[in-house]
Amino acid sequence: MKTIEVPALARVEGEGGLYIGLQDGKAVEIRLDIYEPPRFFEGFLLNRFLQEVPDITARICGICPVAYQMSSAFALENALGIKVNPQARALRRLMYCGEYIESHALHIYMLQAPDLFGKESAFELAAIAPDVVKNALRLKKIGNEILKAIGGRSVHPVNVCVGGFYSWPDARSLNDLLTELEWGLQASIDCAKWAMTLPYPELEINYEFVALHHPDEYGVIEGEIWSSKGLKLAISEYETGYIEEHVSRSNALHGHTIDGNTYLVGPLARLNLNHEQLLPNAQKALKDSKLKLPLINPYKSLIARAIELVQFFEEAIQLVTDYKPEGPAHVELNLKAGEGAGATEAPRGLLYHRYKIDDRGLIQFAKITPPTAQNLPRIEADLMAMAPKLVKMSEDDATRTAEHLVRAYDPCISCATHFLKLNVEEVR
Amino acid sequence: MKIAVIGIGQSLRGDDAVGLTAVRQWQEKHPETACLPNLQVEVMENPGLALLDLINGSDAAILVDAMKSSFDAGTLHRLSVEQLSSFTSESKSSHGWGVSETLQLNHLLNPSSQNIPIRLIGVEAEQFQIGNGLSDIVDRVIPLVCEAIQDEVEALLLN
Repeated sequence: MKTIEVPALARVEGEGGLYIGLQDGKAVEIRLDIYEPPRFFEGFLLNRFLQEVPDITARICGICPVAYQMSSAFALENALGIKVNPQARALRRLMYCGEYIESHALHIYMLQAPDLFGKESAFELAAIAPDVVKNALRLKKIGNEILKAIGGRSVHPVNVCVGGFYSWPDARSLNDLLTELEWGLQASIDCAKWAMTLPYPELEINYEFVALHHPDEYGVIEGEIWSSKGLKLAISEYETGYIEEHVSRSNALHGHTIDGNTYLVGPLARLNLNHEQLLPNAQKALKDSKLKLPLINPYKSLIARAIELVQFFEEAIQLVTDYKPEGPAHVELNLKAGEGAGATEAPRGLLYHRYKIDDRGLIQFAKITPPTAQNLPRIEADLMAMAPKLVKMSEDDATRTAEHLVRAYDPCISCATHFLKLNVEEVR
Repeated sequence: MKIAVIGIGQSLRGDDAVGLTAVRQWQEKHPETACLPNLQVEVMENPGLALLDLINGSDAAILVDAMKSSFDAGTLHRLSVEQLSSFTSESKSSHGWGVSETLQLNHLLNPSSQNIPIRLIGVEAEQFQIGNGLSDIVDRVIPLVCEAIQDEVEALLLN
């Protein structure tokens, strides 16, 4: 039997390994081993006051803290039956713009691009294409600066609260970003053109795409959960369509549809389901790319990310220009017992939270379903589909191609390592 | 000459806080130096690539951080960038990206940054346990770290 073993995946967020056993031209065993220890966030939210939750959940991820804090804020606002005011909602979208910009710039250039240039690392890429990496760092910095201007710091921002924001950010600090945002818009348009020129491996999969959809804007916050198979669910109905299960070899739960099928969340799902809601420059970037939708090659997620980069620079410019803080930054909370669900689109895909609170606002139940947990079974299924090609490759090429496929998903292993329950047994 | 003095680390991970603590104590112990207009003093938790902006905006930099090699806990190191390059993370994940990797990338992207004198003051850690404070053995060497910072700053000011 031929085997492909990657004990420690490189250029992913967190610690995991990959094992593929190939026999007679087929994969007989595929394991994406997640050995990073579980982190128990759902456990230590219990009996915390609800206003602590956005700041705690932000700590789940250093790349997508906004998605974690915002999904929790929306869920808890739904539990209390409150809506944030329109300017606070717009400011939340601007934070997402910052998060998408820093996350996508990192992944496109530093994590996946080295594969497409046949390089082992961003160091090697920097040696042959320093300007590409310099642009990446400048783009990433703009995203982080947006988070800092609104949330007080560039990683794990702290201004978001249940009900809106603790305080309005200074308009001048946002306006100061406009010059760099204009540069970033042009750089992202160039990035989308460049992304079309890269040599992606061939692989086409008939995915079930799942993403948030909003009729009036590119789906990121609120709206409905849409599937390419036609299912449309309210956010509160998410668990009637999608569930997570524990897999013994993994410290991450594995998601699937209620029928037991795999599905895909993330940039491909968003672009395929929501391309009509893209802003004009992003629409043009998509049109100029001559891509045929749906885009079903997982390696080409990079192109979807590049088009989203245009979208979020364009939207950030609009939101900064229109920023007019008026009145209180947050609505007052009237505490009552209740339950609420919230979902937003993290850069890696749909992120769902559900909480139960008591009449003092203390958390009695917490459930967090990260995008990577939903995608893990799909990654393994893609590797299974890729197996006939891997068999014909040299061991080095097969390993590189398989690892590249995992990386194309931009998996955040650290986010995905969560258990709902831990059993400890004493061995005698 | 604009000099950056940068304490690096994590306040919630045991001895990884030594760089942050030492720079703060040095500021208190040597305010006449720390407050010089050409000195920029920063404590940065997990700075990542943001470290580059600070270094590239300076004429010289002194970094203070915890490190882990084969020496006894509490050992004080004073290293050049070249010596630091052997201290890379064993992790290939993006979470393994540290100071050494960041400085190596800077040299590739900005070759002129090699002209910026950078000194690393490193303290061998005993533990990086979540929620722990500094180990006693590391805590005891902080006065020596403060003197090493002062020594490095004075040497740069003389040049």
